[in-house]
Amino acid sequence: MNAVVALAPRFQRAGGRDARVTTGLAVTAFAVTTGLTLSVVGGLLGFADRAALPVPPGQDDLRSLYLSLAWTAVVLLVVPLLTLGGAAARLGVSRRDARLATLRLLGATPREVVGLTVTETAWQGFVGAVLGILLYGALLPAVALLPFQGTTFSVAELWVGWQGLAVTLVAVPLLAALSGAFSLRRVSVSPLGVARRETPKGMTWLRLVIAVVGIGLFMVVSAAAGALGAAAVGALVGALAVGFATLNAVGPWVLGLVGKVQLRRATTPARLLAARRLLDDPRAAWRVVGGLGLAGFVAGALAVLPAITAVDTTGDPQGDTLMADLVTGGMVTLVVAFLLAAVSAGIAQAAAVLDRRREIALQNLAGMPVELLDSVRRRSVLVPLLFVSVGSAATALVMLFPLFGAAAVSSPQGLLLLFGFLAGGCALVYAATETSRPLLRSVLADTVVRAD
Amino acid sequence: MSCTGAARQPGGMNTATPRLSARGLVKRFGSTTALAGVDVDLHDGESLAVMGPSGSGKSTLLHCLAGILPPDSGSVALDGRPVGGLSDRERSLLRRQRYGFVFQFGQLLSELPAIENVALPAMLLGTSRRDATELAGRWLASLGLAGMEGRRPGELSGGQAQRVAVARALITGPAVVFADEPTGALDQATGHDVMRILTETTKAAGASLVVVTHDSQVADWCDRRIEVRDGLVVGATAEVPR
Repeated sequence: MNAVVALAPRFQRAGGRDARVTTGLAVTAFAVTTGLTLSVVGGLLGFADRAALPVPPGQDDLRSLYLSLAWTAVVLLVVPLLTLGGAAARLGVSRRDARLATLRLLGATPREVVGLTVTETAWQGFVGAVLGILLYGALLPAVALLPFQGTTFSVAELWVGWQGLAVTLVAVPLLAALSGAFSLRRVSVSPLGVARRETPKGMTWLRLVIAVVGIGLFMVVSAAAGALGAAAVGALVGALAVGFATLNAVGPWVLGLVGKVQLRRATTPARLLAARRLLDDPRAAWRVVGGLGLAGFVAGALAVLPAITAVDTTGDPQGDTLMADLVTGGMVTLVVAFLLAAVSAGIAQAAAVLDRRREIALQNLAGMPVELLDSVRRRSVLVPLLFVSVGSAATALVMLFPLFGAAAVSSPQGLLLLFGFLAGGCALVYAATETSRPLLRSVLADTVVRAD
Repeated sequence: MSCTGAARQPGGMNTATPRLSARGLVKRFGSTTALAGVDVDLHDGESLAVMGPSGSGKSTLLHCLAGILPPDSGSVALDGRPVGGLSDRERSLLRRQRYGFVFQFGQLLSELPAIENVALPAMLLGTSRRDATELAGRWLASLGLAGMEGRRPGELSGGQAQRVAVARALITGPAVVFADEPTGALDQATGHDVMRILTETTKAAGASLVVVTHDSQVADWCDRRIEVRDGLVVGATAEVPR
């Protein structure tokens, strides 16, 4: 094995408590991602199995509709899942960046630096995948209780198979390693840039163009759905995935704009610091609140549910079942999306505290009150949180306008569902970020009080 | 047993109340005794170098004097008023209002430009952002950093960053400035430049200065020095020749 890559276990051991906490957070994120992904894929397989069964006599063939809806749910959840997985691979990035930049300055090649990171994140991904499989196993009986198509699933229907588990054990470490290597571009290209912590390059308005194109694509496809015939559902789901994914591109850019406005208006130290932090690295802020942005999009998309289910199905038991299933599926998708958002936010915020530990401790040592540091931490989450949740829900409503018109906003139940989930989601994500508060206190205590 | 480091008055007693005074400071970390009974006096406008090898207790002494760490026993007084009984919050307030700090590196907030790093302590004391920024600009200009107000810490050289740190430490008009190895990350020439600015500006601002260093050339910039070993002051000099 290469000498630099062989250092990976030593770095892990030498990292002390910080390294253990960061590794724990990354493994947790990978485990949650894996467990929920397997559950979602299991659900999709369950619907696919049922779609293969013959239609009972006297009933309409709704098999392909159910399968399309399952695919839609998968698309809506796969982006937040991948986002959480990506965030896990970047955990503790500043500490790792500094260490790897030092190695680069000492003469390690970009390939060796990438190899070291790939080894670390792949190992975390593997442990996370194992724990995620256990989580999937634990969730299986609960997921099987959900009624769809007039009956609950059996565990066998939701089982992804041993091959599925084997693929998971290979794919998760592989994706983790790729994501980790991708996040290292800055160190590989310019070790001095990291060692001296130069100002990160700003983002261009091209991100906005990408998002507008992605959203426009979905709107065009949905407006032309009637002309696409059998390919309409596949095209719609594909375009939805593209439009949804572009939120990840435009989100940090929008947060940068919010930071500029906040900075101009900042009159207190807490506001100034929160605005500067947002403006300095909008991508990091997006990692904390982006999950809710994606969940807000899902909430916006599902706000049309009450309008759809308000269709009169009297005397049509199959229609009744379909409407009930739409609500159940929608709620499950929303709950999973918001849980993912909360886990993402909590983990990213904890990692941010650890990444800044020396800086935070020195400010406190020089007399900056803990309350102010806490206030900055809270502000740098809350303001983006509100912007992102409302903005992404509005984006979803705009995107779905050609399909459903103003159904979501004209139905009181739709609005109630939307705002209820946004308020609940914000509260959940905020609560998740508050878990880093004791970590901040312990960081201050550990760093300031030290022997000479 | 303790050895007093108060020796400012060659040829006679200094009867004025010291700006900062410590008596019998003891601090332990587990079974390690970092300070074993230290007495130190620091007078108005005076600069004191605290020297000693790594692990001798000099940084712990600075932390106790600055109210960062409460001593296990002994007392610290600022302008004759004991600060030992203050709560953690009160000590934090004391540091913000009466003290300034210059560390080896890392005290500047990486996301703030130089001018906002300097302005921040003034804003923390209630100065408006506009006034604090204006004041910070004047401090930066007086330390030869005009035109660099908008640069981030990562875009400054080590010496420039330390000058920003000096401006940041002095903007609130502190009674005492504490500097922990302020030249530790700099080359010799830049280190001397920073020490010249630190001592001259602190004196001009009417503040006292405590510098922790292991470098005797750095200590030469101070009015006097004390030597700490194994938690005790083992030597003190009066008025180091400049």
